[in-house]
Amino acid sequence: MPRSTRRSGSSGTSTPPSSLSSPPSRPLFPAISLRSSSPSSSAKESSTQTITARSSLLNVLTRPHHSAPTTSISNAHASSADNNNNHNGSSSDEDTNYSDQSTISSYASSIISGTYMMENQHLTSEDIAKVYENYLEKPFVNTKSTIKHSEFGHCNNPNWRWTSQWNTDEPIHPAEEPRPPYFTLLTTYISYILLIVIGHMRDFFGKRFRPAEYAHLMPQNGYAALNSDFDSFYTRRLKQRLEDCFARPVTGVAGRSIVCYDRASTDENKTFNLTGTTTRALNVSSYNYLGFASSTGGCADAVEACIKKYGVSGAGPRHDASTLDLHVQTENLVARFVGQESAMVVSMGYATNSTTIPALVGKGCLVISDEFNHASIRFGVRLSGASLRSFKHNDVDDLERILREVISQGQPRTHRPWKKILLIVEGLYSMEGSLVNLPVLIDLKKRYKFYLYVDEAHSIGAMGPNGRGVCDYFGVDPRDVDILMGTFTKSFGAAGGYIAGSKQIMDRLRLRSHATCYAESVSPPVLTQIIASMGSIMGVAPPLAAPADIIDDRSDTMSISSRPTAYGPAPAYILPSWMKLPLNLLNGTEGRERLRRLAFNSRYLSSGLRKLGFIVYGHRDSPIIPLLIYNPGKMPWFSQLMLDRLGPDKTPIVVVVVAYPATPLITSRVRFCLSASHTKNDIDLILRACDEVGDLLGMKYGKQTMNVEEVIASAEELVAASF
Amino acid sequence: MSGIRTPISTLAAAAQPASTEIPAPLIPLLSSLTSIIYTIEHLFNKIPGSPIIVRYIKSSYQDDPWRSVLELFLLAFAIRTVLKGRTRGEGEGKSFIKLTEKEIDELVDDFNPLPLADDPTPADSFTLDTVPTIYGPNGIKVKTAANGKTLLNLATPNWHGFIENDKMKQVAIETLGQYGVGTCGPSGFYGTIDVHVKAEADIASFIGTEASIIYSQAFALVSSAIPAFAKRGDIIVADRGVNFGIHKGLQISRSNIKWYAHGDMKDLERVLQSVERERKRKGGKLTKKFIVAEGIFENDGMLLDLPKVIELKKKYKYRLILDECQSFGMMGAHGRGITEHFGIPATEVDMILGSMANGLATGGGFCAGSQVVCQHQRINSSASVFSASLPAMLATCASAAIDILKTQPNLMTSLQANITIFRQQLSKLEAGGPGSEQKLISIPSDMNSGLIHIFLLDPPDSLEDEELLLQDIVDEVSNTSNLLITRSRRLRSQEVFEPEPSLKICVSGFMSKKDVESAGKGLKAAIVKICGSLIRLGLIDFVSEHYVVLG
Repeated sequence: MPRSTRRSGSSGTSTPPSSLSSPPSRPLFPAISLRSSSPSSSAKESSTQTITARSSLLNVLTRPHHSAPTTSISNAHASSADNNNNHNGSSSDEDTNYSDQSTISSYASSIISGTYMMENQHLTSEDIAKVYENYLEKPFVNTKSTIKHSEFGHCNNPNWRWTSQWNTDEPIHPAEEPRPPYFTLLTTYISYILLIVIGHMRDFFGKRFRPAEYAHLMPQNGYAALNSDFDSFYTRRLKQRLEDCFARPVTGVAGRSIVCYDRASTDENKTFNLTGTTTRALNVSSYNYLGFASSTGGCADAVEACIKKYGVSGAGPRHDASTLDLHVQTENLVARFVGQESAMVVSMGYATNSTTIPALVGKGCLVISDEFNHASIRFGVRLSGASLRSFKHNDVDDLERILREVISQGQPRTHRPWKKILLIVEGLYSMEGSLVNLPVLIDLKKRYKFYLYVDEAHSIGAMGPNGRGVCDYFGVDPRDVDILMGTFTKSFGAAGGYIAGSKQIMDRLRLRSHATCYAESVSPPVLTQIIASMGSIMGVAPPLAAPADIIDDRSDTMSISSRPTAYGPAPAYILPSWMKLPLNLLNGTEGRERLRRLAFNSRYLSSGLRKLGFIVYGHRDSPIIPLLIYNPGKMPWFSQLMLDRLGPDKTPIVVVVVAYPATPLITSRVRFCLSASHTKNDIDLILRACDEVGDLLGMKYGKQTMNVEEVIASAEELVAASF
Repeated sequence: MSGIRTPISTLAAAAQPASTEIPAPLIPLLSSLTSIIYTIEHLFNKIPGSPIIVRYIKSSYQDDPWRSVLELFLLAFAIRTVLKGRTRGEGEGKSFIKLTEKEIDELVDDFNPLPLADDPTPADSFTLDTVPTIYGPNGIKVKTAANGKTLLNLATPNWHGFIENDKMKQVAIETLGQYGVGTCGPSGFYGTIDVHVKAEADIASFIGTEASIIYSQAFALVSSAIPAFAKRGDIIVADRGVNFGIHKGLQISRSNIKWYAHGDMKDLERVLQSVERERKRKGGKLTKKFIVAEGIFENDGMLLDLPKVIELKKKYKYRLILDECQSFGMMGAHGRGITEHFGIPATEVDMILGSMANGLATGGGFCAGSQVVCQHQRINSSASVFSASLPAMLATCASAAIDILKTQPNLMTSLQANITIFRQQLSKLEAGGPGSEQKLISIPSDMNSGLIHIFLLDPPDSLEDEELLLQDIVDEVSNTSNLLITRSRRLRSQEVFEPEPSLKICVSGFMSKKDVESAGKGLKAAIVKICGSLIRLGLIDFVSEHYVVLG
């Protein structure tokens, strides 16, 4: 039984992964074959046991000798690992207790991972299918939680947890981006050329022989065409071929699993007809990072109470008597959460950027923007009238070059100095999975005196040991960033967005932002969802029931406990008095558990896919994991095969495929968005599915170093290792 | 060039006897040059097809030496273009000054930007301090302090009392139990829930269009739907009185924008004619042409003369983008908006933009139109593609509100009755109104509009003073008549055409007739008290004194 001494727990004193310094020079897990993560099955195989014991010793030797061993390939029966790994004598008992609870879930894993197969040579795919029957609805573990397993997977194993925190030994960005073979690049280009040529031919003949179908592209009775055929060429001729992958109608909660309506097209994807059936599929597409999208549980109960009290509408704009006490409470809580002085909420995430940026900068100001910034930022900058320069994605050298140029040159032609320079970056890029290099930006900011605006749409709640976004992740003081922006759609299962900063800046924004003056205010149930989910991540004082665990003072990086004031619990007086939250949400245990589950899931899948030989972009701690497809023809196939599944478990998975214009033309990709609601078994399932489809479609462009069973068996090691 | 095919051996042989004329040190140089030329020629001849190229070059040189020179020049130019940096403006512009690293360092040290947020002026603080906070639920009766008195809310659009409607609350709770709160994704990526599809179908069938598309915020809808269609080079004819969201949409579209005087149909025709004349004069390609207007104008409550606009639009072949964010849910026999009010089929309008936050007291906005119009926005409208979809409960509540509107036309009649009662109370103060009282205000808003803007007839000189005066009226009615009203909030200095300050009133059909009547009376008394006294006292002195106290 592989074990980690990093307790799951409420104390928040987990060891930062950075203590895993000096990565071993060679792989930690050489040639581990068919090994299960279940103690019951692995104990039966002596050969496996020796390998694990040996490699665990290896692991111990290569780890620095301070008391923060993160994981090891240990076995419940390998005493050496026990002695080395525990800084706390009682932990082995605890682990056994925990692992008992998760035995059933390991069982399914072991069946597929092969140990079971060895004992029962005749295990057929029907048997596997039987194990996975109702996999998405029926939990493997016993639980008292009221939350449905289909919305939030129950997973008790404390080893499948991780803390999302910057490890100074791991580079924030890879030295060079993984490149596909030239053959792939060539075929991708040829595919696009072919698509474009055929598209133009179809347009040419279609317009002449079937003018009725092209009516909206051609002038008629004196009206110009509504859509220019050039502008819509991409949509009509390229995207329409993939149309089935997009905008699938769904129903219910976009939680761990989601119910899709099955549909079919008889006219080449122009229209779809619902077939009347539905499919429940594992959902790795929604931005439900912390699994707060839920129809039951403490947050939902609070929202219900709110609807009864407040109704559903925010009605008019904030300045016209639609500022509720709830808005003020939410804003106070958000300011505390992100560690800023003041905050402001807006009813739509997109509008948060597009209505705020014009209130900050205008003519004579310069905005420097990352080239992969979100459309809402570009929209906002265009509205503001400020000049725009963009720098290469996450390239701080390019940024510095541009900074030196623009400061020394001043405004074009007049050479007057810029009034303000605002640098806009995202914390976590939603298409790349890459993190901003915040520490370097803060240094540059001190030198070049620009203002920093960090869009944390995806990182807030999803990154950092306390879930407070990239500042928390990097251990940067949030007040070093001038403006922190984020959305509630993603981690908090609500809607809308926030802006946070100093009181002075926020007052100016309240006066000048388009949203406060003219846009509808946030609706009360949405506010309640924000307060409840955010409060449960923070924990609410006074009932700070989290038991104090041992604090590892020898940790060499800033741990959470060393700065308790910055990210403390929410004071109870900020929350509405009528709001009743259950204890596990109030004391923050639930929130912390979710953060740690998300961190494990992200790192596991990202590392696993890399080991399988896929080209994966982004940081391993990112819950967004883009897997590169390249060839446009493979996109619909990948999406369809993940839904139809070849493997014996037959559990459908819904994925998002993204292509141009959201990404550069050739790097079309599939994007997994992980969630705390996924269990480790779910990730195993995704890895198996990717492995099958990847082999079939020839998508393993990199070097495969492990097979899928090895990856699954060494999940914890992969997560702990820094490579 | 012809030399290429000259046998090198003969050339070398020719050089040998003449060696006396060539200085001795040059001989090894020449011979090595010769051997290089020989190898190149040899290699060149090995390339398949090389004789064709040589023949081509030879013949073209013989036929037309100038052509060869031109080709050579073009080749050189192409090489230069390729080698030159692709990005323009980075260190290449005319005004670029080359500086040394040290100079740049000094300039960086000297760089002293303005603060990100300037210090708030007294007027700014005044604006912020006068924003009311509502304690407890919003609705027609609200409290602006935790233990304050109950005020009648005439500041929030709540035409039919949907905010406090129990049916809608019930629907919201049912939706919560099935769908949770957030959708966690944009509509393209598993964010299209069945309730969205249903709400879109309900809206389309209610208004009477082919299809509709919902957005998660009405303001973003307006500023994003317009640039989804209108592009650079297109022509937009817009009313000068349109709201801020439309202005932003027009700005993003980068189209050629022509304004016509607010509500003036003659001027609209004049503008349309002048565009037509210009087009005929210049000729050129047929471009998209749009008329943009509002049903009930957000800035003053005026009603658009829709029949006339439709007539003109057909005559001059324009498409009409009609913003019904205020009028949807408020005008017409069932609240379908001004198309129903005028009895014009909604299909005559190309795009109807509406707000579910104002009209149905839920949230979000919609665009109704033909299938092509709506489908286009799903892929090309930035706020639809790049934003999370509307929370499910807001969509189901919108469907529920539409059901209520469809089945209960009496809601509209009681709203109209309340509007009439309210307007009657104020009509004596209005310019051109009945009675012999002093005329203090003008109300351009339509007699059927629940959104009523009250402008002062004789305002102080500066906008700030006028805002102060209006705020006095707001405070007065709150103290004496228990009314919550608001002055129109504006983004001064960001507006394209600065709207005049006004008081903004939203009458609800859910209020009792008695309440509305006493509200009208209270507001009238407050206007008379504040403005009437000012005119007696001498306006400027009073206001400036007041302002000093505040600052």
